[in-house]
Amino acid sequence: MNLVHLHLLLNHVPTVGTIIAFGVLLLALTQKSDDLLRASFALFFAIALVSLPTYMTGHSAEAVVKERPGVNLELIALHQSAALLALTFMEATGVAAWFGLWQARKPTGRSKWAVPSVLLLSVVTIALMANAANLGGEITHPEILAPGEAPAAAVGALAPASLREAAIRYYQFHHPNAWPTLEALHFIGLSLLFGVVLVGNLRILGFMRNAPFIDIHRLLPWGVWGFVINSVTGMLFFVGQAFQYIDNVAFHLKVLFMLLAGANVLYLTLFDDVWALERGDSAPLSAKILAGSQIFLWLGVIYFGRMLPYIGGAF
Amino acid sequence: MESFFEWLQGLSIANWIATDESIWSFPTILFFHSVGMGLTAGVMFIVCLRLVGVGRPLPISSLRTLFRIFWWGFGLNAITGSLLFAAHATITGNQPIYYAKLSLIAVGVVLAVPLQKFVTGDASDGIIPAGVRGMAAVALAVWVGVITTGRFIAYLQ
Repeated sequence: MNLVHLHLLLNHVPTVGTIIAFGVLLLALTQKSDDLLRASFALFFAIALVSLPTYMTGHSAEAVVKERPGVNLELIALHQSAALLALTFMEATGVAAWFGLWQARKPTGRSKWAVPSVLLLSVVTIALMANAANLGGEITHPEILAPGEAPAAAVGALAPASLREAAIRYYQFHHPNAWPTLEALHFIGLSLLFGVVLVGNLRILGFMRNAPFIDIHRLLPWGVWGFVINSVTGMLFFVGQAFQYIDNVAFHLKVLFMLLAGANVLYLTLFDDVWALERGDSAPLSAKILAGSQIFLWLGVIYFGRMLPYIGGAF
Repeated sequence: MESFFEWLQGLSIANWIATDESIWSFPTILFFHSVGMGLTAGVMFIVCLRLVGVGRPLPISSLRTLFRIFWWGFGLNAITGSLLFAAHATITGNQPIYYAKLSLIAVGVVLAVPLQKFVTGDASDGIIPAGVRGMAAVALAVWVGVITTGRFIAYLQ
């Protein structure tokens, strides 16, 4: 199994997965079930995480497929920018779903906008994912076209030119400060995320014990904003310079640690024992292990990120 | 000044950091410098955001432990930063942006002292004085500036 194989496995998750999560969301609304609602939000969050390696392994698949005779390179470029557009909405859906889970923990009760925004974003995501998947299928499966149907490349599709690899690379190097500015933002986002990770997990580990855990609630979105800054800047690095990352072991490990840390965040958001911690309370051992492992996992993300040029040879 | 940079860069440890090709020299020190950044700037972001008025129910007094992390992170970065500087002293020592970073760090550290005094003081869970809020807002901008100038050192050579 290699990364191309992984792309062919993972690429079903964002398309089929969002439809299933959307079904669970509709069921939750008709059944008026809070548990189902949380389950659908958790699903959207998890699919948003898995969508990141789905997109990234696409570049590995591209590297292999474009060497083949008769492959339509224009179709690959269209699939790529359609996939990036779909990924953007998928990540926005994941963030909105996290906010939905977060608001369910709000001491003052749930706000009204989480459900409509996840509904709206997920509908758009499903349409864009279908579009990207359809274009991707045509790259190696021209048999899916109806007799006489022109390939999508000829008729146009939802694949904005501004999201093309070449356009992003041009922007990165056309302006001399673009790349260092993205780097600076990436490190500011890192500090913001790491600060929130420290505060939340140190409380679980038994420091700052005079604060009930619920008091940290208002700080958590700042960690998510740090993560959003870093996924946007990180994806811009990746899309423009994919060749530096797709065969880079440090990058593979960085993404793996990030996915595990994301799963850990999801679990702690859902885990009632943590939220029940009052002033002076000590967390159960299982929560402490998760909290400790989360700090370790983010340190791992920083380690392999910093090692990208040295273990893998990126700049 | 130039002779000092040359002397510094000529030290065997500086030479080892600059020329050793394994991941245990320059890359590992750089990693610890990034972790120190996450600790100092990360903790300061949280403390200052809270002092500015974000995350309101969290008692200010619960932030006391964080200052210990801040100073440990600062110590780690003073050491790793000096080592990284020594390795390329004749280059970095002639970059204006490096001195901009050092000046911003000085402002950030000077601001940390009264902020710590307020957070560890008896009145920390009462009303936050406008002066403390103002200093916290300035400190936020200063640490964003430290990270930005630090990152640009690598690209403005």
